[in-house]
Amino acid sequence: MPTLTIDNQQVTVPDGTTVLEAAEQLGIVIPHFCYHKALGAVGACRMCAVTVVEGTFKGLKMSCLVKAEEGMVVTTDDQQSVEFRARVSEWLMLNHPHDCPVCDEGGECQLQEMTIASGHGLRRYTGKKRTYNNQQLGPFIAQEMNRCIQCYRCVRTYKDYCGGKDFGVMGSRNRVFFGRFKDGTLESDFSGNIVDACPTGVFTDKTYRFKSRYWDLQEAPSICPHCSLGCSTVPGGRYGELQRVRSSVNEKVNGFFICDRGRFGSSYVNHPERPRQATRGSWKLTVDEALQQLDVKARELINQHGPESVLLLGSNRASLETNWLLQRWAEEIGCRAPLLSAHLPRHQAAQVAAFDLADRLCSLEKVRQSDLVVAIGADPLAEAPMLGVALRQAVRSGGKVKVFDPRPVELPCDFEKQTVSPTELLDLLDGTSVESKQLVDLLRGAERPVLVAGGLMLGAGGMLRLKKIAAAASNDQRNCLVHPLLGGANSFGAALLSLPEQDDLLTRLESERIKMLVCVETDPLLEAPDNERFAKALSLLEELVVLDYLPTPLSVHANLFIPTTAPVESEGTFINNEGRQQLFAPVIKPRLPISVTGEGNHPPREFIDVAPGSDPIPSWQLFQQLLGEATDLPTLREKMKTAVPRLIDFETLQPGGVSCRVAHVDERCIYTDEIPAAPEESLQLVVTPARYGSDLLSRYSAKLQPRFTEACVQLHPQDAAARGLQDGAKVVLDTVEGPFNLTLKCNDKMAIGCALVENGPKFQQLVPGGKLSFCKVHAGMSHG
Amino acid sequence: MPLLRDIKGFFPPFWVTFRNMFRKPVTVQYPEQMPELPERYRARLVLTRDPDGEERCVACHLCSGACPVDCISMQAAEAEDGRRYASWFRINFARCIFCGLCTEACPTLAIQVTSDFEISKRDPLKLVYEKDDLLVDHCGHNDEYSFYRQAGIGVAAPRGTNPSESAPVDVKDLLP
Repeated sequence: MPTLTIDNQQVTVPDGTTVLEAAEQLGIVIPHFCYHKALGAVGACRMCAVTVVEGTFKGLKMSCLVKAEEGMVVTTDDQQSVEFRARVSEWLMLNHPHDCPVCDEGGECQLQEMTIASGHGLRRYTGKKRTYNNQQLGPFIAQEMNRCIQCYRCVRTYKDYCGGKDFGVMGSRNRVFFGRFKDGTLESDFSGNIVDACPTGVFTDKTYRFKSRYWDLQEAPSICPHCSLGCSTVPGGRYGELQRVRSSVNEKVNGFFICDRGRFGSSYVNHPERPRQATRGSWKLTVDEALQQLDVKARELINQHGPESVLLLGSNRASLETNWLLQRWAEEIGCRAPLLSAHLPRHQAAQVAAFDLADRLCSLEKVRQSDLVVAIGADPLAEAPMLGVALRQAVRSGGKVKVFDPRPVELPCDFEKQTVSPTELLDLLDGTSVESKQLVDLLRGAERPVLVAGGLMLGAGGMLRLKKIAAAASNDQRNCLVHPLLGGANSFGAALLSLPEQDDLLTRLESERIKMLVCVETDPLLEAPDNERFAKALSLLEELVVLDYLPTPLSVHANLFIPTTAPVESEGTFINNEGRQQLFAPVIKPRLPISVTGEGNHPPREFIDVAPGSDPIPSWQLFQQLLGEATDLPTLREKMKTAVPRLIDFETLQPGGVSCRVAHVDERCIYTDEIPAAPEESLQLVVTPARYGSDLLSRYSAKLQPRFTEACVQLHPQDAAARGLQDGAKVVLDTVEGPFNLTLKCNDKMAIGCALVENGPKFQQLVPGGKLSFCKVHAGMSHG
Repeated sequence: MPLLRDIKGFFPPFWVTFRNMFRKPVTVQYPEQMPELPERYRARLVLTRDPDGEERCVACHLCSGACPVDCISMQAAEAEDGRRYASWFRINFARCIFCGLCTEACPTLAIQVTSDFEISKRDPLKLVYEKDDLLVDHCGHNDEYSFYRQAGIGVAAPRGTNPSESAPVDVKDLLP
């Protein structure tokens, strides 16, 4: 722990800390470009020069490369360093174009800031400026290479940190070029990070091109709602439109970066068909009227037909506050406890994570630091993309990654893959088989082992089996940690609030006792298994009430529709897959964007009190109104904390903070998994989420459309050959939920004896995370 | 003695009036007679064009950022040739204080002050000027500057052909 003096201030730092980082701890900002906390230093930009007065090597040094030493004396503001940095700044500007007014980075550009700070204003050099030809890098990233200052941050982010393969640095001397070998879409699922990493405007967000200036954006710390990881983000909006999302820092979760699904999947907020008006059929209502009708109807039905007649349905998209208030409203009107998920198997898997596994959960940070990660039934890039990047960090620091999965899993790092079918996965986890023992031995040999549990693939039963493996692999010195992947942003929160045993939504609906269904920010038609049966069951209802902010198909069927706000328009809490209770703050107010009201031209020339389309209010406020309470959010959260003691005290949390994990409990879930017998000549059905558009939020995001993939059924070539089918053939997939016409794709990286379909925008009928089921694939047209 | 003071105070105003009756009048008979304003007088703002006749404004938001009363709003858009322009641009002259900070901030010399101060209206909404009302057909104070010719990106001319630019580099070239 050396103690050094920087600008006459003493600081003690851990061994290996650089002078730049030590200065940061003192609040002294040394200008820099190439150094980045996640990427380290390469000493490419020469901007962070300081003078070492006392130390092994005296004189002008690059502070990002010099390690702190005991008794070192460093000055950052002496004449020599200041002049050197001013010259560096001047030479970095030699070739930089004069285009700040038309550059999207303007206003949040590190180069702009450093140039102004160093006092450089006039170009003294009269030679010609170097120019480049730009590349077309796809729908997300715009390139303007003339602006480049060769800090190498983009290539270190894209290639080294995120594991992209199609981007690099080319050329020699002052012709160094950062891009692809030839034009084309950047293939990595983390390409957007080079926008955040670039200290100037070489790479900018194409979907945000020329939309706003940084100083005009409304920004607030938020939580990414697209998967269960709960990465920290900062969405930005202006004129009622959510325009971009940039990554924020949470070292326990995402670190410094986010995936493209989170970054470019935010335009569901601006969906042109987004419902913003309370309606009963074709009648327009005010929100107050609609709430009144909801309350009256629910109480009336309960009086007439008993507490079973009204069913409330919460969701993993809704915040913790909303789900909790929904439960309280159910108590108030005297109906049965609400279901908090339309998809029971997913919900049960989340409950195992929230109760049984609670004392073994670990953050993404622990995954990054692990020396052995075994992913079981998990496809990180589809279910939780940033986990893929975390696995890469584990590998980069010497760890190993092993994956057991039936799908053709790809990862941005070296890993060992064992292709097993879903039933073999359960055998692997039963603790008695040879493979199972080998797995335990492997985990026992590691110092910091982490098991990644794919909740969708394993289900509650598989998760409970995995718990036993984790217990067997733990010893007195260290625990074998578990990092579960769940269905949605607040799956853990919904699981934590609900009782461990529940009936299926469908069985309850089909019992015909239910007269009224209230769906809060969920659409079982898209999110529940067996959605055809669900659609039929809807006709048995007397009243269907939907509260949502997406134009889902269910909202069309609704008798009463009440608009709510998207997460970026309200405050709330999500609990991520490892139980981290995270708050998000409102970014914009709900209203029709000016680009819509003005139809692309200037905004309407009229004076009005209320912005059009500003009816939606947060769903937790709706339920507060129904409960007749008008408390503010802190009071509500205090009450919730008292009622649910596992939660962290809300006063200690703040949006954008690191946050803490909820307390663990001794309660246990009791679930069993039965492996059904396979019918003759059948294949195991594996439904996997598509990388883009599997969650409803990204499905309704126009920006992500170029990434949506065509629907197909994938078979191992061996299985295809056994059925006399060829790649690209039109086939029929016969499942318990009905037959589907799909195109066949052969893939030799998947398990034999399985049929794989992706749930996404082009194929919505089968939903991932169901129980084990079997299907048949044959050629020809189906009758249905 | 208030009476004596009142009598004494009765005459001086008449004297002042009488004395000024024969002086040359200073009142300008506006609007019959137009005042001559200095060249750098700051009144109504306009959006000028560059020497090629293209809109100078690139909707960079610097004027609206500099505006102390927030009377400028705009939205940028991209033309097919990559040119950034204002899809709409609005100045609320009911709010404008004619400080001229926007013209100082403007990096493309697009927004300029004119000496036209006659912009009073009965309806405040008529003081909200849109881009069509603001755009003029001349270069304003400077008839030489064209931002896109200096910017260093290929909009006004292909990349590498603007003044003081070398031709685009061949990145696959390994010559020293």
